[in-house]
Amino acid sequence: MSDRYPSYGAVFLALKEMRRALVRFGLLMASIGLLVFLILFQQTLQTGLITSFVGAIRHQSAPVLVYSVDGRRNLQGSIITSDLQKKIVAVPGVGSAGEIGQGSFSVTAGSKLTSAAIIGYQTEGLGSPTTLVSGRLAHADGEVVALASSAGDGFGLGDTVVVQPGGLKLRVVGQATEIGYQASPTLFSTYPTFEQAVLAANPDARAALPAVIAVAPAPGTTDAELVARINDAVPGADAVTRADAVASTPGVAQVQQSFQVIFLLFGLVVPLVTGLFFLIVTLQKASSLTLLRALGAPSSALVRSLLFQVSLVLVIGIGIGIALYTPLSSQTLGSIPLSFQTGAVVLWSVVLFVLGLLSALVAVRRVLRIDPIEATTGAGLGR
Amino acid sequence: MTTVGQEQEQEQPTRPALEMVGVRKVYKMGDEEVVALDHATLMIGADEVVALLGPSGSGKTTLCSIAGGLLAPTAGSVVVGGQDITGYNAKRLAKFRQETVGFVFQSVNLVPFLTARENLLVVDQLGRRTGKAARDRADQLLEELGLADRRDNLPSQLSGGQRQRVAIGRSLMNEPLLVLFDEPTSALDTELGEQVMELIRTEMKSRGTAAVVVTHDERIVHYTDRTMHIVDGVLHA
Repeated sequence: MSDRYPSYGAVFLALKEMRRALVRFGLLMASIGLLVFLILFQQTLQTGLITSFVGAIRHQSAPVLVYSVDGRRNLQGSIITSDLQKKIVAVPGVGSAGEIGQGSFSVTAGSKLTSAAIIGYQTEGLGSPTTLVSGRLAHADGEVVALASSAGDGFGLGDTVVVQPGGLKLRVVGQATEIGYQASPTLFSTYPTFEQAVLAANPDARAALPAVIAVAPAPGTTDAELVARINDAVPGADAVTRADAVASTPGVAQVQQSFQVIFLLFGLVVPLVTGLFFLIVTLQKASSLTLLRALGAPSSALVRSLLFQVSLVLVIGIGIGIALYTPLSSQTLGSIPLSFQTGAVVLWSVVLFVLGLLSALVAVRRVLRIDPIEATTGAGLGR
Repeated sequence: MTTVGQEQEQEQPTRPALEMVGVRKVYKMGDEEVVALDHATLMIGADEVVALLGPSGSGKTTLCSIAGGLLAPTAGSVVVGGQDITGYNAKRLAKFRQETVGFVFQSVNLVPFLTARENLLVVDQLGRRTGKAARDRADQLLEELGLADRRDNLPSQLSGGQRQRVAIGRSLMNEPLLVLFDEPTSALDTELGEQVMELIRTEMKSRGTAAVVVTHDERIVHYTDRTMHIVDGVLHA
């Protein structure tokens, strides 16, 4: 007889056992489902948190940003003087450059007083938002693109936002996703509009200095090369690529590290729960497995039966987790917009499935240790 | 219409069901050697029901385990239905057990999460997988054993006697040449024990299947064709 026959037997045995112990296996699947849900939710929360803090940097168009060294890669702390700006622009390999300014303002939106971040860019394509979902970019004075998720708070398309004090009126002409900064409603404007906002809020201010200089490399120069050249050539300048600017923003790395510890713990709990469950089940049914071995069932059939059960439990458990996560992933948690993360779902599904299968190896080892002769003594493995 | 037993009878081989020649089984216990079976020689006919009588620890179960391919002998030869299994490795022995012999063990005999019918079918599922033929055979065996109305019951829903009858049915599922019964009545009261022995004899004879009934109960010999005694690993056929 072919070896394929025991495969049917393995599935037959696995499904019959699961059917007769639905509560037990159901609870395990539910537990795995809840853990997967928590992992995916935490992953989305992490992304949402980081996006709400530095989405404006991640989703602006400049490939390289140049801070002042003492700004410590913080838009609010960095100030580029005109002297520094001239030196930066003069570095060989700079193709184009533009100022970016940022400030936090009190504004009235939807008849409520709230705070908002305004980011002004001098040159379209060097600091303008890249995730426009409706309307258009700001071109004229008094026009802004607002964070789409804050539309319900008076930042919707066509709404007027008033800078307080000063009374400067800003009209929302476009909406972009994931452009939050410091977890505030964020507005992208032209640089002159940003300057007007600064002067409206603080009439004593003499000028609105840029926080960073956005630069793009000249043809033949890479982003990394340009970063190195600026940092070598201009003391006091701290050039970084867009991705590095996001990752090195104060607080981002700490948030990521905290979440990584949580992920590590969850990543260990799922295989641990799965492995222990199947080890206990295997020990509990030791006498049945011994009987089947005595009746001529090959070890491989029993192992396949076990692995089939583990796979089925993991697939259904992960499925439950994704099913719970999907509706929640489209919600907004406070001011943090969540989003369904396909990459995280695929990655965690694969990682947890593989780890879960590996965790069952202890139970597999137990099955392989069964000696059919024990059927004659009534003993089983583990006894 | 023919029964499963009659079909079996028509195909009955004439060669002995079991031949053991000079079989020894020695266990190592530290530096010492313990002889569990000492040069056992026996032959059991194709439809013979034999009682193997002996006190606890005499080597009954060891002999039965070697005959059923659960244990390899230290020396000697074992031939079942013309098939010499002496040198078989674990994989071939598993296949041999799956296809050639039937077992009814003393303690655990049924898988608790399978119904009576599924306990019969699991042998086929893990082996030849003949599908409908197996299902028909399982139904017929359960009917012959008076368990047709209990086929969908789990072992926990059956009485001790019913469980033993299911085990007998399971041992016959693969149409074995030899069925090995290890203390089949030890967990049953006297009346039920006699009923089970009567059933074993009837089923074996109707199918022309050989059986070895391991026991220490002298009353069982009334239901067998021949009695062999074993004491301290030495067989007195």
